[in-house]
Amino acid sequence: MTGTLRQMLTCHWSARRIQRYLDADPAAPLTPGEVARLEGHLATCERCTRIVQEHRTLHRALSRWSGATSVDSRSVDRVREFLSTIDDQDPT
Amino acid sequence: MTESRPPDDGARKSSFGELVEPEIEVLLRVALTITSNRADAEDLVQESLLRAYRAIDRFDGRHPRAWLLTILRNTNANLHRRRRPGTIGDWELIRTARPAFGRAELPSAEDSFINDELHANLDTAVRALDPRFRTALILVDVHDLSYSEAAAVMGVPVGTVMSRLSRARDRVRKSLRLSPLTRGDLS
Repeated sequence: MTGTLRQMLTCHWSARRIQRYLDADPAAPLTPGEVARLEGHLATCERCTRIVQEHRTLHRALSRWSGATSVDSRSVDRVREFLSTIDDQDPT
Repeated sequence: MTESRPPDDGARKSSFGELVEPEIEVLLRVALTITSNRADAEDLVQESLLRAYRAIDRFDGRHPRAWLLTILRNTNANLHRRRRPGTIGDWELIRTARPAFGRAELPSAEDSFINDELHANLDTAVRALDPRFRTALILVDVHDLSYSEAAAVMGVPVGTVMSRLSRARDRVRKSLRLSPLTRGDLS
């Protein structure tokens, strides 16, 4: 009973950190202690490991959609050209 | 009257160019997401760069992408004041995306799964999100912006981006439970 409750609490604690763990964004890093505790939990919890895998697959699927807004090289060239003349257009 | 220009004008322009050059594609991509129109996106980026150039002396040199994205957002807000801030209405552009054809390598089992089974369901799930949540998801997971960069585009604190992103991902993930994101053959 106590073990089950502890497991549930750890799952809840982990669920609140899994995305930050996967993103590893410099604005919201986990502490080394949190990383160690989370990885230790993932090593033993099938449910949380599945959630991690779902997040990874979701991110991978979404990242492939970036092709929809791939930038036309001519647009880049035009902005570069603009950049080269920006000094002349600056009224200050 | 070229003498009227400050002596370091060339260096200023050069350093601005070095700062901006690596970010042109990101700026255009995000602008396209905001405007849903390639010509408008170019105009927005050019106007933003002009404003950035004028403000370069006040830039502290840290996080140029976030700085430029903030200017992009503010420029767009000034140009289109009627547009609600924090919502990006370009979903048609992204949702119609398909993985690139002609890939040199054979698709992995996961690639095939994503291509064949996940795309339509994911499209529906993301479309169903509140626009504020969807924006966070698109900026971070589709455009690969950092939390800070997404916050700059959305005009909200980083914590708000994290909260919206988390809720967006959880809602999409749970709505896809009928077509599980994980299968035994995925690694």
